[in-house]
Amino acid sequence: MLPAALVMIFVAVAPMVTVLNYSFHDIFTLDDVFWVGTEWYETIVSSPRFWSSLGRSAAFSSLVLMIQLPLGIGIALMLRRARPRAANLMLMCLAIPLVVPTNMVAGLWLALLRPEGLGGQALTLFNLTLDYKFTAAHTWGLILVVDTWHWLGLVVILAYAGLSSISPAYYQAAAIDSASRLAVFRWIELPQISGALWIVLLLRLVDSFMIYTEVMTINAGGPRDATTFLSLQLGEEIKGFSYGSAAARAMVNFLFVLTLVWVFVKLRQSKDSAGSKVT
Amino acid sequence: MSRSGLLRTLALATLAAFILLPFLQAVELSFTVTLGVDGVPAGTFGLHNYANILATPTLRDSFINSVTYVLLNVIFCLAAGLPAAYGLARYTFVGDRHFLFFLLAFRVTPPVVLSLPIFILFARTGLVNTPVGIALVHCVFNLPIAIWILESFITAIPRSFDEMAFIDGHSRSGFFMRFLIPALAPGIAVTAFFCFIFSWVEVVLARTLTVTGGKPITQAISSLFSFQTDWGLVMAMTIFSLVPGVMMIFFVRNHIARGFVVRT
Repeated sequence: MLPAALVMIFVAVAPMVTVLNYSFHDIFTLDDVFWVGTEWYETIVSSPRFWSSLGRSAAFSSLVLMIQLPLGIGIALMLRRARPRAANLMLMCLAIPLVVPTNMVAGLWLALLRPEGLGGQALTLFNLTLDYKFTAAHTWGLILVVDTWHWLGLVVILAYAGLSSISPAYYQAAAIDSASRLAVFRWIELPQISGALWIVLLLRLVDSFMIYTEVMTINAGGPRDATTFLSLQLGEEIKGFSYGSAAARAMVNFLFVLTLVWVFVKLRQSKDSAGSKVT
Repeated sequence: MSRSGLLRTLALATLAAFILLPFLQAVELSFTVTLGVDGVPAGTFGLHNYANILATPTLRDSFINSVTYVLLNVIFCLAAGLPAAYGLARYTFVGDRHFLFFLLAFRVTPPVVLSLPIFILFARTGLVNTPVGIALVHCVFNLPIAIWILESFITAIPRSFDEMAFIDGHSRSGFFMRFLIPALAPGIAVTAFFCFIFSWVEVVLARTLTVTGGKPITQAISSLFSFQTDWGLVMAMTIFSLVPGVMMIFFVRNHIARGFVVRT
């Protein structure tokens, strides 16, 4: 216990406390620090840019979850019915995007979409234009596609693992009751994989809420701030050496994450205890 | 094959194409010279880009840097995670649930939030630009994962296994070395895989902590982008950086889902 706790204190808790401390100060240089109290927080909360980027982050996260979760579960269901060798090969294939360094995820897609790249040529062939630099809808679309490409494997792998651990007895019972395919999914498969899905939901929610590198690479928050998410604003301030206000922003982001995790754990615990009462 | 079977195969094939398309492009580009230099015209097909990587010391070193800190990180996570996982798996104590909650919270904290204070803290302790620094910092998100995975594997070992060893007169450390670690070998392998992968792909913290030296491979790739980007070289480097990850996937292909079993 102790070594792990020490490491975590050094690399996680100590920096967090430092951020908290900075967020109440105005920092010109590290030796030139003034106490400003909650001024940064007031500035952030009263800035319309903050609220609009929060809205964009929330919209992005909901889109990501709405696309990736059903798609991932659907693919996992299909893989369960495919031959095991093919399924295994497919899972490995889906895992490859997970090991791409995050700064190259978008790079790979941009290379594909260059006019002389395969994707770019295909687009010209079908007479389509993808103007991700200047048309907001296209930028959003591209970021969503790239993010789905990157993380779909995670959803599929976990859903698949959950599905594989369902005992055949459940299916046999369902067959005896001549349950429909939909009923099997709703009453057997979904409850059984919910444990695995909780964590995927949390990871995808938080990661998409705080997405930074991909968005930065694709269009740096443009066009006209249409893809400026919360984390991009934070990045901007760190680069601008406005440490005090960046720290306050980091705290705000951290609080969001913490609240999400807390709600999540509480929900899960209440669900667990409800489940144990029934059985 | 039935109609629905055919449809399914078709859907999966489309998916595979969607996943593999960018890699296909990358491989194709990595074998193509995109900026003509030194008598080799643009568009030539061959191993020039890969030769270029080996000939450029900064690119070569970045690969070694990355491997160093990733391996160090794996060692740290295992060394610190194993006792913690054992404690959590075998004993209940005040605050154990809080500790798990705290781990989960830091696992999902975006690195950007912590990058600035970590930089200052590490600059004061002389850990900037060193692989040890990056390895330590990556424990923020890897140590929780290590603890979760190891804990699930330790719980699977019956408690009597420990008690037998203690009755036979082995000390706790002797038990760890001689009994627990061999029994946990698959768990340790899976843990190492996940720590390796997550540390390998992390960008923000690794970049923050390497100002002048010890650049990781991800950073080396970013620095290749310029006004006239040599896409062939970038893609060759990217493919290069995928090799360890893909190898890892192959090794643990049967256990891959273990890393996401989270206890709260």
